[in-house]
Amino acid sequence: METVTLTIDGKPVTVEKGKSVLEAVIQSGGHVPYYCYHPGLGVDGSCRVCIVKIEKMPKLQTSCSTPCGEGMVVTTNSPEVEAARASVFEFLLVNHPLDCPVCDKGGECPLQDFSYSYGPERSRMAFERRTFDGEGVKADIDFGPTLMLNRNRCILCTRCVRFMKEVDGDAQIGITNRGVHSEISTFEEKGVVSLLSGNLMDVCPVGALTTRDYRFKSRPWDNPNAVDTICTLCEKGCNTTAWIKAKPEWAKGTQLIRTTPRLNEDINSYWMCDIGRFDYHWIEGDRRINQAHMNGNVTSWEDALVSVKDAVDAVGGATHAQFLVSGHASLEELFIIKQFAGNTGGVTFSWRHRVKPQPADTKFKIPAVDAPNLHGAKDLGFNTATSGVANISALQSAVDAGMVKLLYVLDPGPDGTLGDVEWVIAARKAGKIKTLIVQAVLHSALTAAADILLPGCAFVEKDATYTNMTGHVQGAARVITAPGEAVEDWQILSKLSVVFGVNVTYSSSAAVRVAIAQALGANPAYAGLATMTFSRPMSAKSWLQASNPSERWKWDFMFQDLPPIKFGDDFGPTPRANVIPMKEVK
Amino acid sequence: MEPILTKYVKQPGGASLDFYMKVGGYEGLRKSLGMTPDQVVDVVKQSGLRGRGGAGFPTGMKWQFVDKKSPKPKYICCNADESEPGTFKDHVLMERNPHLLFEGCLIACHAIGAKVAYIYIRGEFYHVQQVLERELAKARAAGLVGKNIMGTGFDCDIFVHRGAGAYEAGEETALIESLEGKKAQPRLKPPFPAVAGLYDCPTAVNNVETLCNVPFIITEGAEAFAKLGPEKNGGPKLYCISGHVKNPGVYETSMHTTLRELIYDPKFGGGIRGGHQLKCVIPGGSSVPVLLPEQLDIPASFDGVASAGSMLGSAGLIVMDETTCMVWAAQNLLYFYKHESCGKCTPCREGGDWLHKLLMKIERGDGEMRDLDLLLSVANNIAGKTLCAFGDAAATPVLTTIKTFRAEYEAHIREGRCTLPASWRASHPVLAAH
Ligand SMILES: Cc1cc2nc3c(=O)[nH]c(=O)nc-3n(C[C@H](O)[C@H](O)[C@H](O)COP(=O)(O)O)c2cc1C
Ligand code: SF4
Ligand code: SF4
Ligand code: FES
Repeated sequence: METVTLTIDGKPVTVEKGKSVLEAVIQSGGHVPYYCYHPGLGVDGSCRVCIVKIEKMPKLQTSCSTPCGEGMVVTTNSPEVEAARASVFEFLLVNHPLDCPVCDKGGECPLQDFSYSYGPERSRMAFERRTFDGEGVKADIDFGPTLMLNRNRCILCTRCVRFMKEVDGDAQIGITNRGVHSEISTFEEKGVVSLLSGNLMDVCPVGALTTRDYRFKSRPWDNPNAVDTICTLCEKGCNTTAWIKAKPEWAKGTQLIRTTPRLNEDINSYWMCDIGRFDYHWIEGDRRINQAHMNGNVTSWEDALVSVKDAVDAVGGATHAQFLVSGHASLEELFIIKQFAGNTGGVTFSWRHRVKPQPADTKFKIPAVDAPNLHGAKDLGFNTATSGVANISALQSAVDAGMVKLLYVLDPGPDGTLGDVEWVIAARKAGKIKTLIVQAVLHSALTAAADILLPGCAFVEKDATYTNMTGHVQGAARVITAPGEAVEDWQILSKLSVVFGVNVTYSSSAAVRVAIAQALGANPAYAGLATMTFSRPMSAKSWLQASNPSERWKWDFMFQDLPPIKFGDDFGPTPRANVIPMKEVK
Repeated sequence: MEPILTKYVKQPGGASLDFYMKVGGYEGLRKSLGMTPDQVVDVVKQSGLRGRGGAGFPTGMKWQFVDKKSPKPKYICCNADESEPGTFKDHVLMERNPHLLFEGCLIACHAIGAKVAYIYIRGEFYHVQQVLERELAKARAAGLVGKNIMGTGFDCDIFVHRGAGAYEAGEETALIESLEGKKAQPRLKPPFPAVAGLYDCPTAVNNVETLCNVPFIITEGAEAFAKLGPEKNGGPKLYCISGHVKNPGVYETSMHTTLRELIYDPKFGGGIRGGHQLKCVIPGGSSVPVLLPEQLDIPASFDGVASAGSMLGSAGLIVMDETTCMVWAAQNLLYFYKHESCGKCTPCREGGDWLHKLLMKIERGDGEMRDLDLLLSVANNIAGKTLCAFGDAAATPVLTTIKTFRAEYEAHIREGRCTLPASWRASHPVLAAH
């Protein structure tokens, strides 16, 4: 790696050649604010808050657009720079509505944070502010099926414009009019229609772009906990953060309130798709299976497990049982099935294959296979394809021929990801399948047809691992507790293992992973599995650090060990050294 | 000095190809095609020709910076956006001497290895575009533009592109953006157009008048050109004189001529209109500091005007007599700047509008003394912090008028009205009531 060394505020800093001064400042732990800069987007140089002094250059320079040069001498904190920066902050707020108390971004807003830290104490602007479409929240306008736009709050950083152009690949957002009347808009006010639209809320450094899903539902301080996890809705495996809202005192408990992407250069960069972001309502929805059922009636776990054994015996033993397994089954679950698979009639994998409508040259391709773990299944030795449309014809003809007396379906959700199941329901109704056992999370036509129904856990309710399309083995953490009597799927399967001829006894899912790591020792991708750790809810103290993911990396890199000013130690007096310096600018 | 660029502008039919050929047209092109591109660049460098678009940057150097080794196509963009207040010289050249511009474009293309020149013309210049298109068709038919020019094997085409009417489109990178079909907003520099300009290819952006000087340099030589003016300020220069002079108009002369001569000499401005005295002049379009009557005995050259603390800019002299209210003048200009700000960068977008609001407040008679310091502070906060030079241009009218005419502002605020015989008010309905 070619490097250059420059001096920032008297300290020598060595960075990779080609990095900007701003990136060097961030890397070295310095403090320079920015808005139009976003690490995942092209440089724009328009907001002007990142200005610094660079020796030998007559004017102050925007650090985001200045490449580091060998021997460059940069000052980020001289009175000249601080005053100039403060003046840009004053300009940014000249027409900003300052409706923070009713703004969804309030509490995790870079405009708030940086204005506190770097802006002047008060504004000198005494004229009426420029407004669009009325005042305050009424200024919100429709911005496509997933978003709302409030142009009063917009600071025209053009991050959203660049995201659509550079990442989405379909430049739907532009700026109409010019000067102080510039406004973010779409062609014929149609709004943004894209499967990546949710990212616009993340990149927007103010509360101008909000998602219909999350707006007005919560405030950052109502979400005291966040858990780093991954999305399992397709084979990509985006890294995410799941946010948990504290329910009011009287309601007790917590609630999954939103999902935001988390930086992983190899997989999803700073982004995630709208399917992963918005398709979570089923998890805490009305259709969850809370208890075991037999013939449509609620039953106890004991009775349900005994009846599985009876059913297997009734059809003449495990060899007459076949498994239909969703591509959503985790490595732990599959590993247990693998151990008794040889005693059964066979295991068939099924999944949903949906081509997502996306621009041809998008930088963030959403795969068509809605299954997070087909590569894991393959690695465990199952005979399954890992791409394209699931081939279940062999199982179907066996069922048709009346050769499958018992079918065991494993479907950890969400709805529809098992692919077509109508034929299963029809075969059960026609008596071609004698017994249908379903281990699932959501009530559906399939579960209604089941003789025995076992309630499993959704991916946010268990610690489980998955191997994505590029062979990354990743863990999805337990974020919330499972409803009712639902049990982690690996546990259900290990309890039932004896029915299928082996006695699997693991004390925890971690123990299963240790066993997998042993079994797949030859494959380096699984080397870390034995010691895989799962994120636990991060405490309220660091909520802002885990905040808006497009800013999250900033807290990770820039303010390491420096809790933001609002996080004084449990709201008690804060040692000055521990906060972002808040300076009075004359 | 005998006019060179505008010699025939008053001649009926002077814009036609026939006439141009009769007076030795396209000889510069012919001669340049017998030279190597480097030789052409060298001659232009030796002539000391400086860009007439505002900054006075040496044209030969600009062409030399164009990355000739790049495998990409190169482009000449002629900046014909002429939107600076008080500036109307390129208009004359294009309307009355279009072939001179074409010839300049072609020589420039030859010099930098370009096969295409675009003339980006201001949106409002519809009629001028008509002339250019008409004459371009004739030149093409005559084999002077297009394939195998003059039988030398040199291929070069010229296209005229009319903008949508934005001052900012005159900034060279905004012009390139606009030419590419995008919004006229400037790009970050570097990379400079010479490295990555139009369609990311090496590009030179030159003003109309700049390019019109090139044929003369080729035919008459670098020395003849340089000799016409003071050192480093050679060649003929067009001045646009407007405001309270007897003879407003475009005048061509050498840069030896002083500002005073330009305003008072009967050959040029002819003095201040009936019975009035000069109050001040903005010598280079609206974006430069004002000069007072006692500062005018300087050559109206790039360096001469700079020595007096202002800039030659686009050489648009806006002359104001003692009836002009400087608060109003600043307000008028800031209306222009806040209206034309492209809105890309924060200080100019927000600050320009704020400045205008403050000036309107004083204009209306609601001003307070502290508004003066606020004006200065806001203007200083814009200056030097913007993405393009527009920000400095917008701050200048405020900074310079307060610096030079602070007492007038104070009187305005104290009295709550204009203290000057304000004839312009009648034409300004919003203010007429006050
Ligand atoms: C806001 C702004 C407006 C400008 N408008 C014009 C213009 O209308 N015509 C022009 O020739 N140059 C204009 N310029 C200067 C150009 O950016 C550029 O310097 C010039 O076209 C270079 O040509 P020259 O080297 O021949 O002078 C403008 C610059 C700025 C910052
Ligand atoms: S809507 Fe948000 S992201 Fe888009 S320009 Fe405005 S502030 Fe920036
Ligand atoms: S200074 Fe900024 S807002 Fe103003 S015209 Fe230039 S880029 Fe646009
Ligand atoms: S972050 Fe550098 S100009 Fe916006």
